[in-house]
Amino acid sequence: MKPEREMKYWRSLDELARTPEFVEAVAREFPTDEWDRLPPATRRQFLKVMGASLALAGLTSCRWPEEEIVPFARRPEGRTPGVPEQYATAMELGGSTLGLLVTSVDGRPIKNEGNPLHPDSLGALPATAQADLLQLYDPDRSRRLVERRGDQEFVRSWDDFAAWTAERFAGDGRGAAILAEPSSSPTMARLRRRFTETFPAARWVEYQPISRDAERDGLAFAYGRPLRAVPHLDRARVVACFDADPLFEHPASTRLARHFAESRQPSRERMSRLWVAEPAFSITGGRADHRAAVPASAVPAVLARVARELVAVHGLALPEAAVNLEAAFGAAAADGNGFVTELAADLAAHRGTSLILVGPGQAPEVHALAAVLNHGLGAVGSTLGYTEVTDPDRPSHVRAIAELAAAMTAGEVETLLVLGGNPVYDAPADLGFAELLVGVPHSAHLSLYDDETSRRCGWHLPRAHGLESWGDGRAWDGTLSFQQPLIQPLYDGRSALEVLATVVGDGDAGGHGLVRETALESFGAVDFDNAWKRALHDGVVAGTELPVVEPELDGSALARAGAGLGALVAAEPPSAVKPELVLIPDRKVHDGRWANNAWQQELPDAVTKVTWDNVLQVAPPTARELGFAEGDVVTVSARGASVELPVSIVPGQAAHTLTAALGYGRTAAGSVGNGVGGDAYRLRTSDSPWLVPEVAVTATGRSLAMATTQDHFAIDAMGFGARLDRIPILIREASLEHFLADPEVFHHMVHHPPLKSLWQDREYPGEQWGMAVDLNACTGCNACVVACQAENNVPVVGREGVVRQREMHWIRVDRYFKTEPGVGPMEVDQAEMVFQPMTCVQCENAPCEQVCPVAATQHTEDGINAMAYNRCVGTRYCSNNCPFKVRRFNFFNYHKNLSEVAKLQFNPEVTVRSRGVMEKCTYCIQRIQKVRIEARNGNRPIRDGEIVPACAQTCPARAITFGDLNDPTSEASKLREDKRAYATLAELNIRPRTQYLARLSNRVGEPAVPEGGHGAHHGGDDDHGKEAS
Amino acid sequence: MTESKSSDIFTFPKWTWILRPAVAVALVGGLVYVSVFVYLAFSPKATDVGYAPIQPVPYSHALHVGQLGLDCRYCHTGVEIAAHAAVPPTQTCMNCHAKVRGESEKLIPVRESFATGLPVPWIRIHDLPDYVYFDHSAHVRRGVGCVSCHGRVDTMEVVYQAEPLSMAWCLDCHRNPERHLRPVEFVTRLDWVPGEDQEVLGARLREEHDINPKETCYTCHR
Repeated sequence: MKPEREMKYWRSLDELARTPEFVEAVAREFPTDEWDRLPPATRRQFLKVMGASLALAGLTSCRWPEEEIVPFARRPEGRTPGVPEQYATAMELGGSTLGLLVTSVDGRPIKNEGNPLHPDSLGALPATAQADLLQLYDPDRSRRLVERRGDQEFVRSWDDFAAWTAERFAGDGRGAAILAEPSSSPTMARLRRRFTETFPAARWVEYQPISRDAERDGLAFAYGRPLRAVPHLDRARVVACFDADPLFEHPASTRLARHFAESRQPSRERMSRLWVAEPAFSITGGRADHRAAVPASAVPAVLARVARELVAVHGLALPEAAVNLEAAFGAAAADGNGFVTELAADLAAHRGTSLILVGPGQAPEVHALAAVLNHGLGAVGSTLGYTEVTDPDRPSHVRAIAELAAAMTAGEVETLLVLGGNPVYDAPADLGFAELLVGVPHSAHLSLYDDETSRRCGWHLPRAHGLESWGDGRAWDGTLSFQQPLIQPLYDGRSALEVLATVVGDGDAGGHGLVRETALESFGAVDFDNAWKRALHDGVVAGTELPVVEPELDGSALARAGAGLGALVAAEPPSAVKPELVLIPDRKVHDGRWANNAWQQELPDAVTKVTWDNVLQVAPPTARELGFAEGDVVTVSARGASVELPVSIVPGQAAHTLTAALGYGRTAAGSVGNGVGGDAYRLRTSDSPWLVPEVAVTATGRSLAMATTQDHFAIDAMGFGARLDRIPILIREASLEHFLADPEVFHHMVHHPPLKSLWQDREYPGEQWGMAVDLNACTGCNACVVACQAENNVPVVGREGVVRQREMHWIRVDRYFKTEPGVGPMEVDQAEMVFQPMTCVQCENAPCEQVCPVAATQHTEDGINAMAYNRCVGTRYCSNNCPFKVRRFNFFNYHKNLSEVAKLQFNPEVTVRSRGVMEKCTYCIQRIQKVRIEARNGNRPIRDGEIVPACAQTCPARAITFGDLNDPTSEASKLREDKRAYATLAELNIRPRTQYLARLSNRVGEPAVPEGGHGAHHGGDDDHGKEAS
Repeated sequence: MTESKSSDIFTFPKWTWILRPAVAVALVGGLVYVSVFVYLAFSPKATDVGYAPIQPVPYSHALHVGQLGLDCRYCHTGVEIAAHAAVPPTQTCMNCHAKVRGESEKLIPVRESFATGLPVPWIRIHDLPDYVYFDHSAHVRRGVGCVSCHGRVDTMEVVYQAEPLSMAWCLDCHRNPERHLRPVEFVTRLDWVPGEDQEVLGARLREEHDINPKETCYTCHR
């Protein structure tokens, strides 16, 4: 059969162009090992080395090392040594909290998971929040208070600091300022009130580089006061995103991804449609049914055209207050763009169930227009809820720090206490914050690391990690959550709350006392102890979300937005001589705070698949115009500042629009993050923090071998020629209409002769584990990769290692681009993106098992293809024979040089592998065994859903389901009976135990049955792609 | 021999005569080497059977268990619910020794630990490799007695390793669990003897409790 739209799938431009490098890379299981070869040794040298190693080996094997058992003197009540416990806590990011459930073994937190009771976590977590745990054990964390005077450093104590604050914050606080990170914490708000009451003349400034201030200001334009927008994707049938990435770059992204996945059920009534107009691929863009690559500066015009179309063609009546905007969007040039007309028609047809979202990188005026349209389309109260903000009076972060910088320039700031953040690194470049800070006579910085800002302050104060401190905060919808420490501060750090309490003279209360006092105020004294215990146990207080308000549009505020909007709509699109640069928060290190986090650095970026670097994303035709090739290092400059970045040619990027991620090029991040990538903050200015218009790009003549995984472990299904045709059988897709008309469509994508096994089938009297991965839910967000890494002690190999294709992630998220056939690699201007998480599928007829000479990889009685690491001798035959390329080999002992403190993170339930050992996914065998033993001890069967592998546990979209295939009522069994279920490479008769559920698209006007139906090439002996195992 | 005929290439030269005795020596030597290697590898010295390190406190299991009749689970509280049986906290010692023999010199480390909160550094005797995941609860709850692996601890003045704890030894029992099964209520009774033939009792218990020990790698290695 033919897919409804003839499309080609490929992973990289190299693959599309079939470069010799790509052919070579696919042909080899492991790249060449030239870099590992030792210089040729003489016979004498060889004998010397071997003799010495033998002698040493003999010595060490004389006796096992003596081990000590050190039990508690007094064991805490209810604690059983070696039994993991989970505690609910929370972490704050960007003024909103995520609920965590942290696993602790013998007092060591080892894994962050989502708190199921928390409205923004729902049991799952994004990769960043999981990787934050690694920061707790980072050996580069600062360990002492330092006072710097000139070139001298003095080690100080917290008492010395208390004396300093008493001296510096005195009288009415004139000349003193605190620069804090935004916080949703009620305790922080309470302390802040005390601070402003005690020191009325002191300044309080809140800044962080990545915020949703544009949305907030835009809503202030529309409604006369700042509001918080809470989208409900589960109620929306049509979602239009304008440079917005709700599925990833949003404080409530986990909830939004979950609800979006729920809205993609394969039925006409229940499947939503997603429209995205954006300058560069985002996670949401990858899921779009219709996507337009539009320069960031042209996004307002696209929204304006949609507005015009809605009003002019579909008769959308805008509220009277919005009249002033009509002039602005009415001027938008009408063109025959199908995207705009179809989108407008779709929105108009789904009044009350549609939703328009605008990203934080767009100007407030664009948000105001979207708010007006949402209002007019009846989204408010249905797919969109508004709540009041808890801090209505604060200026935008960028304005706040600009005002602080002005005061510093004027010499009005004598004392500056910086509570967290890293403004020297991430403040807008035009403010010259670093120099201004040096000019402040008395300054102090609280931070996990002795970083860029600390080095320019008089004092550096070690900060307690989130898992070491008490706190509270609010979720995006306002739900109150509590943060409790899992461990005593490792390095005598203190939290921002505790330091602020010292300033206001409440230093003795401690984090616990401070948070408890705030809770006492809000819970009331009646039955407080129970309420407090309950809140700490649950991590959240149910029913504390902020009330939903139904605001009225404010005509006068909107009138002010109109002028700005008109200018934005009329903006000149970028050109080859005047390309624009879009700055985005990095999907891994965010604003740079996770720069020293090796898990995040080694995580392949969802779109570019680049690790250990940030890149300059360029569209293929633009790269051709500018004369750049993949990996060319170029200088991007604007307004006298410049940054050097390697070029990454990314399909689906808007023409003449360059994209660079913030958060790299750190100089004082630590041993992992220093010098990784280029610092795009240098180009960021306070008047336009997200878009740098008219940049100049010049080649440096150098080229960089980027550590990208995009061609790694490519599956070579059947020779290179057939390869591109074969990818659609790995990733199966069809339109909703097609699927509804022909539910067997996915099983007719592959035909092969009946499969006969050479081996006798095993019998599985007990459980038989299996997995289903729903490609229709997966967003490609990488959360599973980090969850697996944390759970299974997967090592980090470093930049060089990734370049040599030695990354160890057990799960890789394959990212394929799709284009119309016949489009050359450098002509691609519109592309689609598909994700497929790929890990060991636990074949029933596993090719790896058949070639292992020492039986180190074996089939278990419940169908898992298990590894006995201590038996592996490292022949790598298994990896060569694996059709999915999911086995990973330890070329070195990657854990050898880890510091003792970093080893505290290890999961004691999983062997730490050494050099020369093959490893791979085993469905989290340790979790299976744990539940199995518990169930057997309790004389009961294992319940469905009781065993949850780490990846399935943390998937925001719940794309992964694990269960017993012998139990027909289990969720996994049911999903494998789904019409969308298919086995990858089934024609090899490997009978994978993980099956995928095909992805569905829901485009406007797709035919139910495409040309050329099924059956044309059915042979007599034909079998179908779907087979039972 | 300076001249060579063409047939010489099919004749072994003289110097190869030494090969015959050399091969004989290698064969005999190899046999001796293998036997000695195997003997040493499985000797108690290699498997640590009899390993009895000196502990910081001369705690006598013979006294506490054998004479006073303490149950194993009084101290090793995790044994039925967790992978680790767990060495007890100092608190457990002090439950009695706050009153009993409160002045004893031998108990100084215990009292010190209780006063300072620092642990008593016991020396591990039964030490499995780090890649072995043994679960006490899985065995004890099925009726494998403590004595099967730990020996007659109730007679040990100083605890020593009684069994080799090697993989072959583990598999022996996983293949033939009948020899070590007993009614669950008697698992901690170290001196318990079955009233009937052990094999018959074991087979019956195995049947009753559906005990099918696994031999796949992942049972112990993850």
